Amino acid sequence: MAFSLSLTVALAKARWKVKIRDKETREPPHVTIIRGTLAWRLNLRTGDYMDADPDPVDVPDELLDLIFEATTWKRICDEWDRMYPDNPVKQLVDEEA
Amino acid sequence: MTTKSVRSDVNMFLLQRNSQIHLSASAPFRPNVISSVKLLIDRLKRMPKDSILISYDRDLTTAFLKCNVPGVTRHAAGLFFHEIETRDIPELSILFRKLVFAEGNGFVTSDELAEILNAENRSELAIGGIVNGKTERITLWRGNFEPMTIPFSAFETAGDGTAPDFSRFSIIDCGQTVKLGDYEAAIDAILYEFDPDYRRELSKKRRQEDRSFGAALLRLRKQRGLSRKDFESEVAAKTIARIETGKASPDRIRKSTLEAIGRILDVEPDEIASF
Repeated sequence: MAFSLSLTVALAKARWKVKIRDKETREPPHVTIIRGTLAWRLNLRTGDYMDADPDPVDVPDELLDLIFEATTWKRICDEWDRMYPDNPVKQLVDEEA
Repeated sequence: MTTKSVRSDVNMFLLQRNSQIHLSASAPFRPNVISSVKLLIDRLKRMPKDSILISYDRDLTTAFLKCNVPGVTRHAAGLFFHEIETRDIPELSILFRKLVFAEGNGFVTSDELAEILNAENRSELAIGGIVNGKTERITLWRGNFEPMTIPFSAFETAGDGTAPDFSRFSIIDCGQTVKLGDYEAAIDAILYEFDPDYRRELSKKRRQEDRSFGAALLRLRKQRGLSRKDFESEVAAKTIARIETGKASPDRIRKSTLEAIGRILDVEPDEIASF
């Protein structure tokens, strides 16, 4: 079942959504921030935006604070792992390490 | 967030008798409301190129098809937000440059449609679709009115066991998500899988935009004209691949590995990310 983060009333009213869907691109684990026709993807391994467009500056700090809050971030990562167990957020990343 | 202006190249016509709901949703485009067949025939003859006619009224569409319509320019795309008979499709195809139709919950809301049609990335968004249980395929209509057919098998059961319910199809998130009951599929994932042009463009764009360490390494390696195998004397090609594709994050890469990569690329290891 798709994961959708519960947001504050103000953020929800402003049409912000934070989702992990059941079928996502097979790329680094990520969470998608959606508003209208636009989407911003955050890499769950690095916390970085995966795309330069649309401009990340348009994502409100209030929303980012909520996403990056430690408990919430862990929950998002856990949700990804639940939905994509073959591509977990944490993995052995360097065979030489 | 910046306010977007309305596309000036859209001439929208709404075929409806009395509903103000659709008009208000499409209002940014200042649509011409057509409430009679006579008016529709008259307008069709002189519709500007790339016009969009949206019909919310099945009776008007049917009445229109019963008339002889000589001299129609076939400039308009026709979006029919109601059921249409299979036998009507050939006639509509003659009258309209592109045809889009669906039934039930097959379309986005009128508010979202107006937003999608005004979006720069409209070709990457879905405005509606039809599920065909017999052929086990879904036809999605994109915001540029192009169809795309997807087999049911593309919607694999999620890792947590959530399976798609094709009898509960809808488009949500302003054209960004296909919803099949509790199951949701990202449109970009579908496009990536089924549209080679989209995939090529996206890969090119992401390589240019990606500021990650892996992408920087890929750009630098390409700039040097090296293959991954050219690193084999010091670093396994597989390791280079893992770093470039983001499977190996920079903070987990051994210092000796970074130094070896830097030597081969002839840069200081801490400069790699700047490319």
